Amino acid sequence: MRAYLKHPFWQAVGLFVAAFLVVEFVIPALPGSAVVPKSVVLQYMATVLVGILIWVSDDEARWTTFKEPLHDVLIQPRLKVVRTVLLAVVTLMVGCLTYSQVKASVAAPPNLRSIHPAPPSQITFRGKTITLVGLENPLRKQGDIAAHIAEGHRIYYQNCVPCHGDHLDGQGHFASGFNPLPANFQDNGTIAQLTESFVFWRIAKGGPGLPREGTPWNSAMPAWEEFLTEDEIWSVVLFLYDQTGWKPRTWEVSAEGSK
Amino acid sequence: MEAADLGSERGGQQVIHTLLLLTLVAVQDTAAGKMVYTKWCAGCHGDNGAGDGQGARHMVPPPRDFTGAIYQIRSTPSGQLPTDADLLRSIDEGLGGTAMPGWKSRLSERQRRDVLAYIKTFSTFFADTTQRPQPIAFSKEPGGDGGADALKVGRQFYDSIGCRKCHGDQGRGDGPSAPTLKDDAGHPMFAANLHENWRFNGGGTVEDIYRRLRTGLDGTPMPSFSDLLEQKFLTDEQLWRVAEYVRSLSPKEPPVVRDVIHAPLTKRVPHAPDDSAWTAVDTYWFPLVGQIIRKERWFAPAVSGVWVKAVHTADSIAIRVAWDDRSQSPDTAWLAHLGRVFSTLSDDSTREQPVPWPDQLAVQFPVSSPTGMERPYFLMGSPSAPVYQWRWSSTARATAIAGLARGVDRFDPIQGAGGGIATQSVYDHGEWRVVFTRALASPDTANQLPLRTGRAIPVAFFAWDGSNGEHGTRMAVSTWYFLALDEPVPARVFISPVLAMVLTLGLGMLVIWRAQQKTSYRRQQ
Amino acid sequence: MKGRIFSVVGSMLLLTVCSKGNQSSAAPAASPTAAPTTAPAAPAASSAAGGTITGKVKFTGTAPRNPTIDMSEEAACKSKYKTTPTEENVVAGAANSLANVFVYVKSGVPAGQKFTPPTTPVVINQDGCRYHPHVFGIMVGQPFEIDNSDPVLHNIKAIAKANRPFNVSQPSAGMKTTRPPFTAPEVMVNLECNVHGWMKAFLGVRPDPFYAVSKDDGSFTISGLPPGTYTIEAWHEKFGTQTATVTIAGTESKTANFTFAAH
Repeated sequence: MRAYLKHPFWQAVGLFVAAFLVVEFVIPALPGSAVVPKSVVLQYMATVLVGILIWVSDDEARWTTFKEPLHDVLIQPRLKVVRTVLLAVVTLMVGCLTYSQVKASVAAPPNLRSIHPAPPSQITFRGKTITLVGLENPLRKQGDIAAHIAEGHRIYYQNCVPCHGDHLDGQGHFASGFNPLPANFQDNGTIAQLTESFVFWRIAKGGPGLPREGTPWNSAMPAWEEFLTEDEIWSVVLFLYDQTGWKPRTWEVSAEGSK
Repeated sequence: MEAADLGSERGGQQVIHTLLLLTLVAVQDTAAGKMVYTKWCAGCHGDNGAGDGQGARHMVPPPRDFTGAIYQIRSTPSGQLPTDADLLRSIDEGLGGTAMPGWKSRLSERQRRDVLAYIKTFSTFFADTTQRPQPIAFSKEPGGDGGADALKVGRQFYDSIGCRKCHGDQGRGDGPSAPTLKDDAGHPMFAANLHENWRFNGGGTVEDIYRRLRTGLDGTPMPSFSDLLEQKFLTDEQLWRVAEYVRSLSPKEPPVVRDVIHAPLTKRVPHAPDDSAWTAVDTYWFPLVGQIIRKERWFAPAVSGVWVKAVHTADSIAIRVAWDDRSQSPDTAWLAHLGRVFSTLSDDSTREQPVPWPDQLAVQFPVSSPTGMERPYFLMGSPSAPVYQWRWSSTARATAIAGLARGVDRFDPIQGAGGGIATQSVYDHGEWRVVFTRALASPDTANQLPLRTGRAIPVAFFAWDGSNGEHGTRMAVSTWYFLALDEPVPARVFISPVLAMVLTLGLGMLVIWRAQQKTSYRRQQ
Repeated sequence: MKGRIFSVVGSMLLLTVCSKGNQSSAAPAASPTAAPTTAPAAPAASSAAGGTITGKVKFTGTAPRNPTIDMSEEAACKSKYKTTPTEENVVAGAANSLANVFVYVKSGVPAGQKFTPPTTPVVINQDGCRYHPHVFGIMVGQPFEIDNSDPVLHNIKAIAKANRPFNVSQPSAGMKTTRPPFTAPEVMVNLECNVHGWMKAFLGVRPDPFYAVSKDDGSFTISGLPPGTYTIEAWHEKFGTQTATVTIAGTESKTANFTFAAH
C-alpha cells in the first residue's frame, strides 16, 4: 500500500480522481452554486491532466518511475489479461462514440431568442402615435400614485396572474404550458433592467409585436392594446415596480436602458 | 350536558370577552401578517378573506373563503378546524391543480407564520376554545403494498365504498354524480381525475390520499370515510389499499415534457386507437392551458394535457392522441354544471346560455416545412401566415376536417383533395383516444404540409371540452412542439464506427508490439 | 338583585301593554318592540305548564310541481317506490295546507335562560334515497344520529355557518353515525347528499325547545311557553319566512296562523 502511495503514477491517478470528485460533487454542494455542465467538467479535467503531466515530467527520475506501470502493461507477460481488456475497452468506446456522433437524430431546433430586443422608436397605440424614446410613465406625475398602483393591482390579478403568477415570478398556473416561459419580474434581468417605456411597449404589443429576433411566433404574451387602455397599462407598469421593489431605468441615467 | 351549556353561552358576554382577549394577544403576529396578506394574498382571497379578491372570478376552483374556517386539507376529523401545521402546509406547498402556489420559497418562515396567524382572524371559530382541533392519529402504511393482490383489494373497496359514484369506474372524475357536484357556495366542483395525482389538492402520495380518505375535504362533496373504520365496514389496512389503488392509477412520476415526438418506422399503420401495435410505441405528454391571449379568453380549461404517440410507414403516418375528458359531449347531463362554471367566472366571454357543445381536438402544423427557425404564430397562425390543422369533433368521429387557420377565429376547411383526414376514435370511461392517419405526401404541397422524414416538424395541439362550455376561442392550447419521422438507420452509419474501431485496435497493437520489440532488443543487448 | 326587580317590573309593564293586542296575527310583522329584553319570572321550561301556540300553515296560489327523481342509477332505492318518486320541495295537503314548515320562537325567550337538551338523539334516516324527516329541529347540545337504510353509498354533508359543517359517508345499509352535538343556534343547517343531488334536508338548531314542524294538514303546536311576548317565525324552503307576534299571559293557548304566497 505504502509503495502505491509513493509511486508517482498512482499519485497522479489519485490526484486526477480527487479533482474529478471535487468538480462533480463538491462544487454543486457549495451554497449558491449549481451542477457543473459536462463541457465545463471536460475543460477542468483537461487542465488538471496537463498540470499533473507537467508535475510528473518535471523530474527525470520521477518521470521514469511514472512511466513504469504503463510500460509494464505493454510488455509484461503477467499483465497480458489487463493489456487485452484495456485494448478491447478502448476500441469499443471509440466505436460507440463514433456511432453516437454519426447516427441521425432529430432534435428540436435551437431556440435562439433575443430576450430584450431593441424597441421601435415609436408605436401606434389604438391609432395614436406614441414616441417611446424618452417617454416616462405619465401617471407618476398625475393624480394619486397609490390609486394608480391599486388600479394596476386589480388589472394584474384579473389578467396577468395565470402566467406571471401571484409572486410575479413567472410561475403562474398556466406558465408551464408556454415556451418561452413567462417573464419573471422578481429576477434582476427583466423589468429591473428596463425603462418603463420599454415595459409599456412589451405589454401593449405583446408577442405578435416582437421583432423577428424575439421569436414572435412563440411568445404567448397577448397584445394588451386589445384589452387595456393606455392608462391601464401605465398603472400595471407602476404596480410591477411597486410590488417587486425594483426601480425602472430612467432616460437620464442611461440611454441604453431601452435596449 | 356540558356541550349544551357551552352552546347556550356562545352568544354571551363571556365569550365576547374571551375573544377580545385572544385577539389582543394575537395582535402582534397578525399586524405583520396583515401586511404580508395584503401584499401577496388579498389579490385572490380578498381584503376581508372572503375569497372575493380581484382575481377570484378568473379561476376555477375559486380561492378559499377564510371567513367560514372551512378547509379541505386537514389532519383533523370532518367538521373540525385544521391545525396550524395543516394551514402552514397549504401555504408552503400550495394546492396542486389550482392557482394557489407554494409560498415556501417565496416568503420567509416568519412571514408565512405571521400570515397564518392573520388568516385565522377571519373566523371566530379559531378563537373559540371549545373548537380546538384534535388531529387524527394516522396509522403507517402497512407492508406488502404495490403488489397485484393489494391493488385488487383496493379496487374491491374502491367499488364498495362508492368512490366510482363521483370519480368514475376508471377514476377519471366521470362518475354518474360528477355533473351535480358543487361546493358550499354553489361553485362547480370537479371530482378529481385520479389519473393525475400531481394535480391533487392535498398531494399525490399514498399517504396523502389515505389522509384525504380519513378526513374528507370539508366544504366539498368529498366525505370522510373514518366512520367506516369505527363501524368495521372495512379495516384500516383495506383503506390503505384503496389509497394504494388510487395512487396506482397515476404514472410513477409526473409526466415530463419532451419536445420531440419520435415516430418510428413500422410495417403497417395501426388505424384503431386500441390496436396492440400502439403498446410498444413511446408516449409523449404535452400540457394544455387556457386560451387567455385573444378575445374571448378562457380561464377554466378542462383538458390539462394530451398523450401523443406516432408511427409512420414508407407512405403514411398515424398519430394517436389521448386525453382525459369527464364527459362524452354533447351531453345534456352537464348543462347545469356548465351554468355554474359560467356564473363562477367573470371574464370577457359573452354571457351565453349553456348549450351541449361537442368535444373537439385540433392538431396543428405549419402549412409548409419551415426553413430556419421561423414558424407561423403558435396560436392558430395569422391572416398573413396561416397554419395547417386537422380538426376532429365528437359529432363526426370518422373524419377530421383539414383546413387552414388564420388566427383563433378563422378556420377555412380545405375543399376537395386532402380535405378529410381519416380518424378512428374511442371514448372509454373519461378518456378520448383518437388516431389520425394521413399519407406522407399531400395533394397540395403549398398548403397541406408534406410530411418528410428526418426533420423536426412543428406541431401543436388544441382541445375543447364541450360540456365545460368550450367552443370557438374558449379552449385549451399548447405551444409549438415537434414531430420527427425517424428514418431507418442507413448502412453507412455503421461504416465509420467499424472503421474507427479497426484503426484504434491496430494502433494499440502497434504500440504494444513496438514496446515489446524494444524490450527484447534491449535484453538481447 | 337589582336586575331581578327591574325585570319583574318590566315584564309586568310589558304584559299590560300587550294585553290589548294579543290576538295572533298571520301577517308578517317585524316587531322589535314586542321582544322583551328582560327575563320574566318564568317557570322552568320543562314544566308542562305554560302557554301553547297552535296554528295552521297555508299558502295562496298554485303550488309548484315537485320535480320527479330519476333513480335509475340506484336500483335499490328505485325499487322502494311504486310510482316515480318526487322531490319534497312543497308538500301541500287539503285546502292548500302546507307541511314541512319549521315554526319556532325567534325572539322573546330570555337570553339568560338555559334549557336542558334531551338526551335522546334526533335521528335522520336515509331511506329510498330520500331523507326522513325532510324538515326537523334539534336543540343545541342534543345528540344527532344519522342512519342509512339504503344499501348504497350516501354522504351526509352539513352546510352550516354558526356550526361546524361536516361531510361523512355511509356506504351500506344499517350504518349509524352519531355526530358531535351542534354548538350554536342556526336556522337552517342544510343537509345534502352529493351522490344523489336531489337529497336535501333542513335542520333548525335551537337553544330552546320552542319549535315545531307543520304536519300534512299544516298544523303545528308549540307548548310549555312561559308568559311573555314572542316573535314566531315560520320558515319554508321555497316560500321564505313569515313572522307573527304572540303574547302569552299564563297557561293559555294562542293561535298563530301563517299564510305563504306560492310564487
